[in-house]
Amino acid sequence: MSFVPKTQAFSGKINSVTLGTGDKAVVLGGQNTLPFHTFDAPTENAPKIGVEISDLASEWIAPALQEFYAGCQTMADYARRAETMPGADFLTLHFESADPNGRNRSVEECVADAKAVAEVVSMPIAIMGCKNVEKDGQLFAKIAEALQGKNIVVLSAREEDYKAVGASVALAYGQKVGAESADDINLAKQLNIMLKGLGVAPTSIVMNVGTAAVGYGYEYVASTLDRIRAAALAQSDADLQMPIIAPTSTDTWGVKESVMSEEDMPEWGNQEERGVQMEIATAAANLTGGADAVVMRHPAAVAAIKQFITELV
Amino acid sequence: MALKGLDIFKLSPKKNCKECGCPTCMAFCMKVAQGALPLDKCPYFAPDAVAKLSEATAPPMKTIEFGTGSNAHKLGGETVLFRHEKTLVSKNLFAVKLCSCMAPEEIDSKIAQMQKVDYERIGERMFVEVLFCSYVGNGADKYVELVKKAVAAGRAIVLECWDVEAAKAALAVCKDTKPILDGCTLENWEAMNALAQEAGVTLGLYAGNLSDLYDLVKKLEGAGNKNLVLDVTGKTAKETLANAVLVRRTALKDGDRSFGYPSIVNLTGFAKGNAGLQTAYAAMFTEKYGSIVVMDGMSYAQALPLYGLRQNIFTDPQKPMKVEAKIYPLNGADENSVCALTVDFALTYFLVSGEMERSNCPVNLLIADASGMSVLTAWAAGKFSASTIKKFFDENDINNKVKSRTLIIPGKVAVMKGEIQEKLPGWRVVVGPLEAVQLPKFLKDKEYMAGAEEEVAAPAPVVEEAPVEEDKPLDFESIKLKVPPIEVVDMGVHYKGYNPEAKTFVTIGERIHCISPSIRKAMDERDPGPILKRAAEQIAAGATYLDVNIGPAEKDGPERMMWAVQLLQQNFDNVPLALDTANKKAIEAGIKVYNRTNGKPIVNSADAGSRIENIDLAAANDAIVIALCSADGIAKDNEERMMHCHNMLERGLSLGMEATDLWFDPLFLVVKGMQDKQMDVLNAIKLFADEGLKSTGGLSNNSNGAPKTLRPIMDATLVAMAMMQGLTSAIVNPCDLRLMETIKTCDIIKNHVLYSDSYLEL
Repeated sequence: MSFVPKTQAFSGKINSVTLGTGDKAVVLGGQNTLPFHTFDAPTENAPKIGVEISDLASEWIAPALQEFYAGCQTMADYARRAETMPGADFLTLHFESADPNGRNRSVEECVADAKAVAEVVSMPIAIMGCKNVEKDGQLFAKIAEALQGKNIVVLSAREEDYKAVGASVALAYGQKVGAESADDINLAKQLNIMLKGLGVAPTSIVMNVGTAAVGYGYEYVASTLDRIRAAALAQSDADLQMPIIAPTSTDTWGVKESVMSEEDMPEWGNQEERGVQMEIATAAANLTGGADAVVMRHPAAVAAIKQFITELV
Repeated sequence: MALKGLDIFKLSPKKNCKECGCPTCMAFCMKVAQGALPLDKCPYFAPDAVAKLSEATAPPMKTIEFGTGSNAHKLGGETVLFRHEKTLVSKNLFAVKLCSCMAPEEIDSKIAQMQKVDYERIGERMFVEVLFCSYVGNGADKYVELVKKAVAAGRAIVLECWDVEAAKAALAVCKDTKPILDGCTLENWEAMNALAQEAGVTLGLYAGNLSDLYDLVKKLEGAGNKNLVLDVTGKTAKETLANAVLVRRTALKDGDRSFGYPSIVNLTGFAKGNAGLQTAYAAMFTEKYGSIVVMDGMSYAQALPLYGLRQNIFTDPQKPMKVEAKIYPLNGADENSVCALTVDFALTYFLVSGEMERSNCPVNLLIADASGMSVLTAWAAGKFSASTIKKFFDENDINNKVKSRTLIIPGKVAVMKGEIQEKLPGWRVVVGPLEAVQLPKFLKDKEYMAGAEEEVAAPAPVVEEAPVEEDKPLDFESIKLKVPPIEVVDMGVHYKGYNPEAKTFVTIGERIHCISPSIRKAMDERDPGPILKRAAEQIAAGATYLDVNIGPAEKDGPERMMWAVQLLQQNFDNVPLALDTANKKAIEAGIKVYNRTNGKPIVNSADAGSRIENIDLAAANDAIVIALCSADGIAKDNEERMMHCHNMLERGLSLGMEATDLWFDPLFLVVKGMQDKQMDVLNAIKLFADEGLKSTGGLSNNSNGAPKTLRPIMDATLVAMAMMQGLTSAIVNPCDLRLMETIKTCDIIKNHVLYSDSYLEL
């Protein structure tokens, strides 16, 4: 009796969500198998990489990263350079400095940056805020308005502000919206239901279901991803069939392994290399679990993950 | 594959000799099926029946052991594909590849590089466990030299070698280390099998595709060798992932044990010389079914994320990850830096230490042992109390290691401030923020300094306090004197009485609990008002028993409990009570003054771990005990639940208790989070009932975190399903009308109460 593998393609399917316009538009999702299970059915759309550009990027200290962005002054400069990064599929503008408890940059300044970027790049754009619910609410509405027609995605609408963000970003200005929960599958589902209840089309929703650097409680992320994909595919749960964008670099470049200098930890070796490997391992784990896109920062990490994706689909 | 009792019964001797202690062979087989008794308790099963049964009850994936001493490792033994389904049991191992094609210096330098990575993370040694020695046909001598170096490096060994002669030579120098011989193919399998059997080592199988690999396994199994691993490495990453997933899925999901063996995944072919790509693949195969992952090398930069990921993925979802209890100096803290205290739950540690690091303020983070529970859970369970904190300070010699005398405690346990202050003379205890995110501001603004000038720290006492009455018998008469006189107030509510012989469902009202601030305050101040009010509400709503939770009550537990018991029983017609505290002396004191008119007191609660002695306490005082079917953390399956159940039952019976005085609690889970395991809990209740045991449980945990409007329907439905399974009691909120009406209706349908049109009002 010889071995005949049983395939396991599901009737449930991840929604296809398009970001951006024109030649450079990307489609997230679309598959009816677990990640990279091409032996069950072909993967409709390969996972994508969104290169992170922060308004605090000038403070990034990794030498190769500095070299890559050498000479860049404005966010638009950074964005134009990021578009040339091998492996980049879309750009993620991260407005960290808007944080009222930090630099407290004004909404107007941030919007001006976003507009300047949109004028010079052709890749799709994702927006990340400063995590302050009130400020993000104002920022997201203004950016969504200013970039109307660009088909951007705004990360994220949370339990506290999904109404305001959903109504402005998705309903008023026709952009895509990311629903953010933290390792809580029940909340992830509930947020999607509530966004749909507002009138947001399911194909205008993506999810951020919680992130962590590997080693830092990542088991919760891994199991959340596993369970969400199981519900979306095996149970055909339409309220969890939204594609997932996993912000990766923001976690991985902040952990001890990436921030301790070589002087402080000589046996650990080169600091930049540690940051790169941390970003690679976390991105690979996110993609293996079910992320349809990862947000990444370092060119070396992006190159490795791009090759990883290409080899596997 | 779980066997049904009836399947076993068909093969049983059917002689009903009772030698196994069971009344009938049928009863014995049922117990074997539940895992409650081993098959060999019966000497009369025919040998072929035993073989058939052990084959059928064998796990779907073999556990393979290789290596010796500190390099002994277990591979495989998995029962699920995803960690949330149960748990993953054998972490994958990382291997570095050495090759007979390498010059001796290159081998030495590879080994030296590999040995550099060796560190500890959350109690686990992180290092390259395996050296993967590859032979490329350039002469057995060279290979033997390579293997000798690998043996000297002191790691477990895998021999990748298709050449029988070279393999023989290599085994001659390393077989005592119990290596894996990875080189058996369809072409050489007979010779390789003989070699492996003779040396007593695990054999690794390789074929060009899964169909051939499957045939190869069949050949070896036919030859009697089941000590195997499968090298699923393909030509590309894509093919290798397909192999790894299909092999594991076939074994665990489709139940085909021919693929039920651990795997070897070798990245060095399809990701040659690309460290970043190898890291990415190694992360993927850590999650997706590589048992040994072979890489070109392992730098610190690669090890830090990969070992961190592995530690996370192979954490038992039911057993929280703990960090070591000790001082963690953050941001360059020294002995003069402020101290902040929290519990050893890993997630709490990561959150708190992360926020503290963000503040850039030097802090000595003190992590106290709390059994891996979060702050409030640990506090409520008595695992994070003034005494445990004092013990932690003593064991770690904090008073001498640190000069600072300011201690920040978590805002959630502000209530402990006074007690901690008392136990730690000389320290200034400050209540910190409620949430970790508020820490950076709290530390940067030095909010903990507020009032420091006025508050002069209490001088350290000259004489050590007398040790607390650990084993001294209680002097009840003198405690009684401390109990304030009980005032009886007529609140117009009367207890209806309880007949312990009746089959009606027993409800234990949960509303008198110290986690509620008003009850906590009333207990502290011996203020009867709030306690009597909640008692009256619950009795009016039809509660059978009332639970009395007095908190950890380390200091004045006995008099507190005596007061509460007398207060409630004298005011409400000797309502029966469940005495609920981690303080055993308090329970004992409460029972001394307890009136048994309406039934025995209940000890809430014992478990199969650190609280098993509460069974002894119940036995000595002729009380009922709630026996939680867990030891440390939630039981991972019903096999474990029943094991705990039988352990506690045995202990109770040996102390002369009636089986019906142990009320087994399977621990209801939170649907919002562990929905996929609640049916297991309901099935455990059926197992208790089938053995004639009584059961109970905290029902409202079911709907924890759900909106208020949903909780009644969720809990009512659960109780109905659980009563169908045979649940005999539950700890409930009796003021939940929907729930109470459901229970009454179930009692009617179960024919425990005679129906009348007014049954709901009775």
